[in-house]
Amino acid sequence: MSWFHAVRARLSLLSRRATESRMDDEIRLHIELETERLVREQQLDPIEARRRAFVAFGGVQEHKETLREGRGTAWLGSVQLDLKLGLRMLVKYPGLTLVGGLAMAFGVWFGAVTFQMFGIFSSSELPLPGGDRIVRIMYWNAKTLQDEDPVLYDYQLWSSARSITDFGAYRDASVNLLGAGGSAEPAVAAEVTASAFRIAPERPLLGRVLDASDARAGAPPVVLLGYGVWTRRFEADSTIVGRSVRLGAGFATVVGVMPEGYAFPTSHELWLPLRTDLPGVEPRRGAAISVFGRLAAGTTLAAAQAELASYGRRLAAEHPATHAQLMPRVLPYTQMSVPTGAMMQVKALTFFFVVVLVVVVCSTVALLLFARAAARETEILVRSALGASRRRIVGQLFAEALVLAAVATVGGLAAAQFALTRWGRPYLEVNFGRLPFWYDFDLSPLTIGYGLALAVIGAVVAGVMPARKITRGLGTQLRAGTAGGGVVSFGGVWTAVIVTQVALTVMFPAVVMLVRSESQRISSYDLGFATQEYLGVTLGIQGPPEDSPSPDADSALARRLTSSVEALRRRMEAEPGVAGVTFVDRLPGDYHINRDLEVVSLPDKPGYSVETGRIDPSYFAVLQASVGGRAFTSADLSPGARVVIVDQGFTDLVMAGRNPIGHHVRIGSGQPADSIAAQWPLYQIVGMVRELGMSHLVQRERPAGVYLPFVPGSQGAVNMIVHGRGDPLAIAPRVRELATAVDPALRVEQMIRLDQVATPLLWFLGLWMRVIIGLSAVALLLSLSGIYAVLSYTVARRTREIGVRVALGASARGVITSIFRRPLTQVTLGVLAGIVLIGGAAIALQQTQQFAGLKGRGLTLGEIGLLAGYGVLMLGVCAFACVVPTMRALRVQPTEALRAE
Amino acid sequence: MPPRPQTDALRGSLDLLILKTLSLEPMHGWGINQRVQQISKGVLEVNQGSLYPALQRLEKDGLVTSDWDTTDNNRRARYYRLTVSGRRALGAELENWRRFVAGLEAVLRVS
Repeated sequence: MSWFHAVRARLSLLSRRATESRMDDEIRLHIELETERLVREQQLDPIEARRRAFVAFGGVQEHKETLREGRGTAWLGSVQLDLKLGLRMLVKYPGLTLVGGLAMAFGVWFGAVTFQMFGIFSSSELPLPGGDRIVRIMYWNAKTLQDEDPVLYDYQLWSSARSITDFGAYRDASVNLLGAGGSAEPAVAAEVTASAFRIAPERPLLGRVLDASDARAGAPPVVLLGYGVWTRRFEADSTIVGRSVRLGAGFATVVGVMPEGYAFPTSHELWLPLRTDLPGVEPRRGAAISVFGRLAAGTTLAAAQAELASYGRRLAAEHPATHAQLMPRVLPYTQMSVPTGAMMQVKALTFFFVVVLVVVVCSTVALLLFARAAARETEILVRSALGASRRRIVGQLFAEALVLAAVATVGGLAAAQFALTRWGRPYLEVNFGRLPFWYDFDLSPLTIGYGLALAVIGAVVAGVMPARKITRGLGTQLRAGTAGGGVVSFGGVWTAVIVTQVALTVMFPAVVMLVRSESQRISSYDLGFATQEYLGVTLGIQGPPEDSPSPDADSALARRLTSSVEALRRRMEAEPGVAGVTFVDRLPGDYHINRDLEVVSLPDKPGYSVETGRIDPSYFAVLQASVGGRAFTSADLSPGARVVIVDQGFTDLVMAGRNPIGHHVRIGSGQPADSIAAQWPLYQIVGMVRELGMSHLVQRERPAGVYLPFVPGSQGAVNMIVHGRGDPLAIAPRVRELATAVDPALRVEQMIRLDQVATPLLWFLGLWMRVIIGLSAVALLLSLSGIYAVLSYTVARRTREIGVRVALGASARGVITSIFRRPLTQVTLGVLAGIVLIGGAAIALQQTQQFAGLKGRGLTLGEIGLLAGYGVLMLGVCAFACVVPTMRALRVQPTEALRAE
Repeated sequence: MPPRPQTDALRGSLDLLILKTLSLEPMHGWGINQRVQQISKGVLEVNQGSLYPALQRLEKDGLVTSDWDTTDNNRRARYYRLTVSGRRALGAELENWRRFVAGLEAVLRVS
């Protein structure tokens, strides 16, 4: 067992504290035993005996040092010492610790959040047994360079593949589920094959999961409930299994309840059987589905890809018209789409950007550390004179930076975790709706590793760079005996760092102003009526689950929606809390359908792109908007009526202020093929109304609005607007009850008070504003402290020179000018670079569609004042940094300055 | 055999003395020193301080192992004992030493 002893001995020797104590104990015992022997055998006085014992032992410290070296852990001791020194420096220079630490923490925070977010999207682990072998199969269209969903035909074909087992498919379905309270609410459902419960096996809380027999033709309809639906809609009724519940227009028997957190395939809360054995399915026909499976034992993703590719080639040969461009792709399940080169580029660019950001941030920290190290130049020279190598000194300065970076990283990672939980999830939910169950917002080990790597990069930039510069030429200085003689100086790199910092600091407030003005514009967007009194309700109807809906079925569905909506209107109007009910295809403040229009009754036939809305005849009355000319009547609903009402925007923009009533217009259908204006249907303008939110909140251009009358429900999903007496949200529960009572298939998809339409968007913009303010605060803090550190250091170093110049008769003014020239040049250069960047960004923004409306928007006086004040502040700090040491230097007596030499 | 510097020979002999002493029984540092003096009748005197770095080196090489124990008069002491490879190394060191002494003897006899 010699290896065991060897390992044990090495391990025990590595434990520094234990071995130090062991060494002390052994030496102490040795001296005691030797003392006792001398007292016993040579009858010496104990004190004399102890002295002789020490003499016989030799130099205790020397032997201890030999023991330490023998352990081969002397370097550990020096690292420990360096780290201890680093910690002491943190306490000794609290300002630098605060500024540098904050800056580095910010870099790590930004890096960790970005990395984790990308991780969530790209390579998240699937928290399922064998999750790394679960795959999804989709089509990649080589022509459009986009993903395409497969259909049942593909599924049936692919199921024979040998490299993938447990083949399954699902498709999303939003079904209206009638709960215990009697009101129906849409639930996020998946029509799914039974294999899903083998891929994501979980014991149901109650009853059973779906099995293959549930999907057979003629099988009774069944449903499996998710935990949320069960507790929310059925008050966690333990006797629910076996009961029949109303699902849209039909019924289904509950076969089981899944435990909390189960959401396979992505974020589902209700499961229905999916029939995949339908006969006569055709290529590229029918509803889109998502296909998944598990890699067969011993098969790789590449092998499965190769097999599926052979199916793809066969289909392309058999159906060249539809499949020539399509290639099946096997992807890890969590990868929701085929990775494109552009995506990878974005990812690589982002990571690169983060590293650049960290390097830039750390360069400024390096500047501060450099100033600190330069102030300790004498100490470094003494260490060097006492035999410390350059490497040892660089190591010490690196360790100091590493301690700072480590503290900053802990702070940065903690802040990243907080931000991800607090803002990351809502941010993604605002953008993408319900999130897949595998999205994990807890920092992954990989992200923590990335954060640590950033810390090391930061420590190298902030520690090694200045250390190398400061230790260059140490030997020469030692030989020349010129400690403190001004060899250390800030070079061009630092000038570049300061200029960059100042430029960024100037640029960020401009971006904040942009976001803030956008935010203000949206929140002050006037929809033209008392929005807080109105409730917007999006209604839809659930159709039968058929794969190839026929035109007949569509019109039957439209008829049903129309009559249900009409019945709902009557019931709502009878409610005591309701002042009025009307219908519209798009809610005010939402995107409207854009169409081309031509005014035929004007000589020059002006054409314009207008926003169109279809409304119930009661619309303007309910919104309490007076109509010039006349409002729509029920007679206008007949197909031959062809009348429109326009808004003030139309009058101003299209009619150039002329009265539009009585004029005739032709309106295109909005289809690209429909380009011949002469063939467009002709309408007469019968009324004019004020502007009532005909464009989306983010659209900057003033819309020209045209209203057409419609029968609510005849065009598919429709929005009901309810004018409430008091807070309209109070009647929201009643809306659900009445909708269910009128038609269980009538789906209340969304209810929102119309003054809250902008809330998610404003939250989103607010989040961005906070991030940018954080960025600018860090940039500001860094550049100001960087400027201060460099200037005060430079001036302090020139004390002697200033003294001598004053002694030689130089005026105080001349001295000050010479000191101020360089920092002022740097700050001015930075401000100019910042202005150029703002200009460039403004031009780039004007090119993008989103900000097209910015054209011509100059800065307001307040904004110009703010930016100018900002520049003055920076120059002020720069001056402050110079003034204090300069005044000090000017007060120095020439004799004292010379004596310092 | 190439000539070896004196310090190496001395260090080699210290290791040998320690290994040999420990082959008799496990012992603490002071005890090893006493035993060497006792057996050599005071001719060989080990530098007491250098004993411990040597013991540490031998332990690191896996030739000896150590544990805390109590002495006869109930004191806590670190006891060193020979490992199997230590015993093997002792044999090899003895062989080396004898060859060294024989070589030295031969040279001295000629001169």
